[in-house]
Amino acid sequence: MSAQARSGPVGRGVTERVGRVDPLLAWIGFLLVVMAVGFATWIYQVTNGLGVTNLRNTVMWGQYILFFMFFVGLSAGGLIVASAGRLFGVTRFAPIVRLAVLEATVAVMLAAIFLLPDIGRPERLWHLFRYPNLTSPMIWDIAIVTAYFALSVTYVWLYTRADLAAARSPLALGTGDTPAGRERDDRWKDALAWIALPAAVLLHSITAWIFGLQISRGFWYSAIMAPMFVASALVSGVALVIILALILRRFGRLSFDDGLVSFLGGLLAAFISVEAFLVLAEVLTAAYPGVEFEGDPMARMLTGQFAPLFWFEVSVGLALPFFMLARRSWRASPRMVAAAAGIAIVGIYVHRLNLVLNGLSVAPIGLPPGVSIGTAQNGASFAMSHFYVPSLVEWLIVAGVLAGGALLFTLAVRWLPLRPAGH
Amino acid sequence: MRYVAPKEATVPDRRSPIDLLPAASREWGRIEPPSDQPRWGMVVDTERCIGCWSCAVICKSENNVPLGAWWNRILTEGEGLDLPTTEHGSEEMSWTPLACQMCENPPCVKVCPVQATYVRDDGVVMMDNERCIGCRYCMIACPYGVRTFNWGTPQRPNGLETGMVAERPIGTVEKCTFCVHRLEEGQVPSCVVSCPAGARIFGDLNDPDSRVSRLIRDREGRMLLEDRGTRPKVRYLPARRRRGL
Amino acid sequence: MPAAPDAIVTINRRRFLKGAAAAGASTAAVAGGAGLILLGRDHPEVAASTGVDRVVRTTCSPNCTGGCGQLAFVRDGKVVKVQQAADYPDAVYNPRGCMKGISYHTLIHGADRITTPLVRTGERGSGAFREASWDEVLDRMANEMRRIGERWGWDSIHVFGQVPGSGYIQKGANYRASALLGMTHGTSFDFNGDLPMGMPITFGVQNAEHEAKDWANSRFLLLVGANPVETRIPDVHFLFDAVERGAQLVVVDPNFSGTAAKADTWLRIRPGTDAALGLAMAREILAADLADMDFLRNFTDAPLLVRLDTGLRLREADLRHDGDPDSFAIWDASVGRIARVGTDRLGMPGGTQAALAGTFEARLADGSTVEVTPGFELVRRELDSWTLDRAAGVTGIGAEMIARLARAYATAKPAAILMGGGSNHWFHGDLTGRAMGLLAAMTANIGVSGGGFSVYVGQYKVRVNVGPWFNPGGTKARIVPSIYFLRGRSETMHPDVPYPANGFHALVVTFANMFVQSPDLNRLHQTLSQLDLVVVVDHQMTETVRWADIVLPATTWYEKTDLTATPLHPFLQLQQAAIPPVGAARSELWIWREVVRRIDPAKAAEFMEVTEEEAIETILAAGAKDNGPTAGITLDRLREGPVRLNVPDPDIPFGPQVRDRVPFPPVSMPAAPEATAAFLPTRRIEFYKEEERFRELGEAVPTFKDPHDDGVHDPVTYPLVFLTPHSKWRIHSTYGNSPWLAEIHGGRPLVLMHPDDARDRGIADGDEVEVYNTRGAFRCWAQVSEAAGRGSVTLPEGWWPRDFVAGKGVNELTASEVNPIHEVHFVPNMWSPSTGWKDCRCEVRRPEGGNRA
Ligand SMILES: Nc1nc2c(c(=O)[nH]1)N[C@H]1C(S)=C(S)[C@@H](COP(=O)(O)OP(=O)(O)OC[C@H]3O[C@@H](n4cnc5c(=O)[nH]c(N)nc54)[C@H](O)[C@@H]3O)O[C@H]1N2
Ligand SMILES: Nc1nc2c(c(=O)[nH]1)N[C@H]1C(S)=C(S)[C@@H](COP(=O)(O)OP(=O)(O)OC[C@H]3O[C@@H](n4cnc5c(=O)[nH]c(N)nc54)[C@H](O)[C@@H]3O)O[C@H]1N2
Ligand code: SF4
Ligand code: SF4
Ligand code: SF4
Ligand code: SF4
Ligand code: SF4
Ligand SMILES: [Mo]
Repeated sequence: MSAQARSGPVGRGVTERVGRVDPLLAWIGFLLVVMAVGFATWIYQVTNGLGVTNLRNTVMWGQYILFFMFFVGLSAGGLIVASAGRLFGVTRFAPIVRLAVLEATVAVMLAAIFLLPDIGRPERLWHLFRYPNLTSPMIWDIAIVTAYFALSVTYVWLYTRADLAAARSPLALGTGDTPAGRERDDRWKDALAWIALPAAVLLHSITAWIFGLQISRGFWYSAIMAPMFVASALVSGVALVIILALILRRFGRLSFDDGLVSFLGGLLAAFISVEAFLVLAEVLTAAYPGVEFEGDPMARMLTGQFAPLFWFEVSVGLALPFFMLARRSWRASPRMVAAAAGIAIVGIYVHRLNLVLNGLSVAPIGLPPGVSIGTAQNGASFAMSHFYVPSLVEWLIVAGVLAGGALLFTLAVRWLPLRPAGH
Repeated sequence: MRYVAPKEATVPDRRSPIDLLPAASREWGRIEPPSDQPRWGMVVDTERCIGCWSCAVICKSENNVPLGAWWNRILTEGEGLDLPTTEHGSEEMSWTPLACQMCENPPCVKVCPVQATYVRDDGVVMMDNERCIGCRYCMIACPYGVRTFNWGTPQRPNGLETGMVAERPIGTVEKCTFCVHRLEEGQVPSCVVSCPAGARIFGDLNDPDSRVSRLIRDREGRMLLEDRGTRPKVRYLPARRRRGL
Repeated sequence: MPAAPDAIVTINRRRFLKGAAAAGASTAAVAGGAGLILLGRDHPEVAASTGVDRVVRTTCSPNCTGGCGQLAFVRDGKVVKVQQAADYPDAVYNPRGCMKGISYHTLIHGADRITTPLVRTGERGSGAFREASWDEVLDRMANEMRRIGERWGWDSIHVFGQVPGSGYIQKGANYRASALLGMTHGTSFDFNGDLPMGMPITFGVQNAEHEAKDWANSRFLLLVGANPVETRIPDVHFLFDAVERGAQLVVVDPNFSGTAAKADTWLRIRPGTDAALGLAMAREILAADLADMDFLRNFTDAPLLVRLDTGLRLREADLRHDGDPDSFAIWDASVGRIARVGTDRLGMPGGTQAALAGTFEARLADGSTVEVTPGFELVRRELDSWTLDRAAGVTGIGAEMIARLARAYATAKPAAILMGGGSNHWFHGDLTGRAMGLLAAMTANIGVSGGGFSVYVGQYKVRVNVGPWFNPGGTKARIVPSIYFLRGRSETMHPDVPYPANGFHALVVTFANMFVQSPDLNRLHQTLSQLDLVVVVDHQMTETVRWADIVLPATTWYEKTDLTATPLHPFLQLQQAAIPPVGAARSELWIWREVVRRIDPAKAAEFMEVTEEEAIETILAAGAKDNGPTAGITLDRLREGPVRLNVPDPDIPFGPQVRDRVPFPPVSMPAAPEATAAFLPTRRIEFYKEEERFRELGEAVPTFKDPHDDGVHDPVTYPLVFLTPHSKWRIHSTYGNSPWLAEIHGGRPLVLMHPDDARDRGIADGDEVEVYNTRGAFRCWAQVSEAAGRGSVTLPEGWWPRDFVAGKGVNELTASEVNPIHEVHFVPNMWSPSTGWKDCRCEVRRPEGGNRA
């Protein structure tokens, strides 16, 4: 190829090549490059230490954990949609169930992967299995993530098994496509739905409990944390399913009518209102007594340092998509629904950002000079608060992982029968 | 084993710094005879504390803590480092030295996914830096903000390795250990030795007659953030009531 | 595992338990195979401390009052930990030390450490040097010195070093070499502004303070201009000991200092007005009849009659032709007659009732009569003008509060006054000292444990007989107050000052950071033009080093042998080398030996071929005579640890005077007793000074005068007082480059100002500001807080110039004029011009283009 390019006139050779390249391959190539950059950056981070991030003792969790939470949410949301449909007999979901399950699978994988760059000694990850501490929500979370991953892979397989078998794909694991088999699949799907729904709820609740059980931070220590996480999972999960479904329909990989989009839009609006309600409940409970422990972070959020984030979350993240979806006629436009879904996802991201940053950025005991930053500084090495913005390293690694997820999803979309038979 | 510098193996005639202390110095730092099952605790007298940071500096030196990290620090109850508040209409200021509180109910231990932070039989909340995976969950969980992560290759003034314990590996969390390496040899923690104001007292909480137990009883030693239920083994004696002219 | 004996027992028991647990656990594992949950529970046993090669007991000795015993822990030839030795036999002193001392190893092996001799290659002050060999720099130095000595006289070479208490041997080497070569040696105690001139004027001593542990015996502690929480860190706990026993702690300070934070009462005073407070308190004590008049009669000059015609004291020689010119007179009210008072013993002649008030007639030997009055009458007249209201107006402290303070102080017994640099570092600091001394005498708090008037300033005190070491073959160095090096001779300079006939042509600075710490820095820089040679001996790359022609790398106190003792605790201590000299560093004794050898080999052979140990033994032997302070102290005992000097316990001044009525003044080492006795012709505590200059200047009795500031800054253009106290984080400039301490305080000079003063100038917290007056200007950052009083701004001295945005630092602004009262007598460092750092006005502005917070 390069020889060919070199032989001809430069301009023409390139145009020719680009012209000939399959867009899918270009996309995959692009993802591979981003992944490679991300991986190299991670190696750089591992050798030099996490100091290359903008994390410090003051804000010790940031971008990576944020994306972990976020993807756990996306995953839980996807699976809840899929299994709720099944459990409560909402057949309208049928055209997108496989997508939802696939999305859940990829998302939970990404979530797990996001833990890797976050920990200081990734090569000791096996310690989690060698020395598990059963009182640690982190261990519960890892357990549920693992279980959940297994569950969703099984789910994906069950949904596609028969079609794979029909196509004689090795992914069918040697099973055949028989009516009896399809029936058995259905029974299993029903059975699994009973597990998957609570598992999905639990997945996100446990992630919430990583934060919500910590008495160290008034902003987090709250019983509403788990329900709120589930609500935001539903919002972001459904939103992502909507967007992905529309994209795949565009590429002809799925087909369904606009009515489903509109229905999903309505569902999204409902989830958004639940989320908004929980946010209100939380804010009120924390702010009302006016006590330091919970009130201070709440004040920072309502009127202080984090007010821009919070009010963005409320106005753009919650109110705007809700109103975009409020009227049936607006909801009828897939574009409108897609836009609202996109905005809602951003809103949830900002919500998480707020949660992590506001929870951490102020020294737990608010007396000067604060906590030690942890790395050699030019000036004082203590800080009362820390304005955290992810470093380039963090962005590159995140991009790498996201590219990996996109690649996986692309491949799955390309090779798995997403369209149920009969559609 | 964790704390022995690799160098030591190659230099056989090195001796314990405690062994080499002048007799009077060793005597002065000796731990009050403990009970059969000691539970170590510390008392900080805020009446006496002058915010000098000697305890913080010796901690850094003793424990080979790199630049930018402190296991022990002194909070000013005021508007800035050594600046008073004027909240009650007149200037007021005091200091609160803060290191690991050695909680009886330590959230850091609960959350550590790999039991890298754990409680010893003597109540010391301890780190196993060979096991720590560097998730920093313990830092999140600690309500006192006393833990510090090894963000990179440790930097030291002019590369000078200080102290009496080996450095901790990159990517792991560290904190005050109550100077367990000294406890092993019957000596009080370094910060207790080095407090010029006599504001730090160390001893066995299980012995009702130890100095720490008596001080806590007689002067109502308080726990920091008592409402969090962590039940620290470090207690703070309140300042006296002032007698104005 | 090396361990203390009883620790071994613990470990064994623990091992046993561990073994048992392990056995149990493995049984369980084999039996049930249920090890999983227990898997995480086995943690490595924590080992004992990492080994070291050596632990050496030595003494911390920057220019600090501490003199703390430290242990140096050495590994691979480096000091890896410094920690308080805590081995004082008097356990109340344990552990002596502070955060600075225990961080010193970061400087021994620090980035600014000078490890080789350096020769200047660029302009002076450019900091451009090349490395050179010892032979080269010593030869060059010797040649230059010889040339200058022969051309201008050896006394034109000025050696400036700091107070010797922190190192008699090495600092003594400076004196010894100066004596041998005929160079002049500068003073430091007075140049530091630390010489409390009120002391020689009133008590005839250089200074006299209670050893720190005696604070604990007090019932009332009045701190004026002293901030022990920050500047006397190893000792401040004695204040708390006193408080624990029921004492009251009152702090007088314009700022809310660390010490104010610990006070029962903090009185914010207008800077430079402590004397007015003292006078009003004295008046109130008299008015409330709380004064001990008998103490005044017996121990002070209060009853001695003063002639109203001449202002001189009435002497026996005035009354009778054959009368003793050194005997004085009182008015015996019991018989209405004059009675003679000698100077050989304190007290009053038996059966007399000496008048302290009134005016009387005395018939002189020539038959004339003059009016006479007891000295105290004159004091009282001055006090009468110091009504509470007047003092309140001057000091800013409420009248009622002053009255309460006076009564509380006078009724608590014993009560101590602790004065510090904040009150002393003024042009008229002597007047403050005299007023405070008056308070202490009126309440009979002199010579009693827990009482006293103590001024705690630099490590000035010579506690042992250093004569045989400082003065080779009995020759003494010519000692010139350093202020005259800075300003040239003054009109009123005392004739005994050996000011060099041809002025100064060379400067050798050692143990001092003169170009940061001297007052009136820009004036100091002007002296450079006349100097042919500037040599600086130091181990850190200080600002002063940058101005040198030749830099000699000194050893730190962890690399050499010395002998130390300090005012605050009466222990003699050895400095012992913990590590070999870093790089090519050498001790001062070695350096001077080599210099003298090159200039005068014969003298070097006779006087400089001495080891530190020999020098110490000489001093010990000299001080042991007549049951002296070093009686019974040997080098071997010092090697074991600190040894308490042969002084009373507690070591308080004036015991023999008050107990045994021995006349004042006690000896101030190293001055000859006669020299300081001349300060007190009455051999009593003197409140009335009859010397002409006192009377001319209206200072015959304790009074108050407004701050002076060289008389150049009017309060309208320069409305702010510029205070430069000592920083908690440094000893002057030493430790200013400590990486650990900078991590704590942030490494930026912040000038503290009151919110109103800041607002008036449009300054916000954290803004870059310029502080200036007619003498200089520098830029730093503002710290706005009510810790500052209105009308004054505060920036601790000692910041390194490189830490400022611009300028040489605080001493660009400080004043340097000589107070003529300090020139009435001359005994170096004892009655000699003291400086006034805090006596300085300034203005603060936001410079154009300066960064805002
Ligand atoms: N940490 C530390 N300790 C030191 C030193 C050091 O540099 N750093 N230096 C040592 C030496 S050599 C000395 S001389 C001493 C000096 O130490 P101190 O005697 O404590 O003197 P300063 O720090 O100059 O001032 C003490 C206090 O006086 C206040 N003050 C200023 N002006 C006035 C005034 O007009 N009236 C009154 N009443 N108070 C005033 C200041 O605000 C300050 O809080 O410290 C010794 N100890
Ligand atoms: N504005 C203002 N200025 C002040 C004061 C103030 O209150 N306000 N206070 C004044 C007072 S009280 C004092 S005492 C002076 C102190 O003034 P200095 O004593 O000059 O100040 P230091 O910064 O302690 O400087 C000591 C120097 O000696 C060096 N040194 C240490 N050890 C050795 C050694 O073994 N050998 C040699 N050759 N050098 C050594 C140190 O590195 C350091 O550079 O400052 C005075 N300056
Ligand atoms: S203070 Fe923090 S680190 Fe120490 S035991 Fe308690 S929670 Fe753990
Ligand atoms: S950082 Fe280390 S000690 Fe802390 S929770 Fe994670 S594994 Fe445990
Ligand atoms: S006990 Fe030891 S480790 Fe803990 S603060 Fe004190 S010196 Fe540091
Ligand atoms: S060393 Fe003592 S006085 Fe100084 S800060 Fe620590 S506890 Fe307080
Ligand atoms: S700096 Fe002064 S107070 Fe601190 S340890 Fe050294 S001598 Fe003692
Ligand atoms: Mo001083």
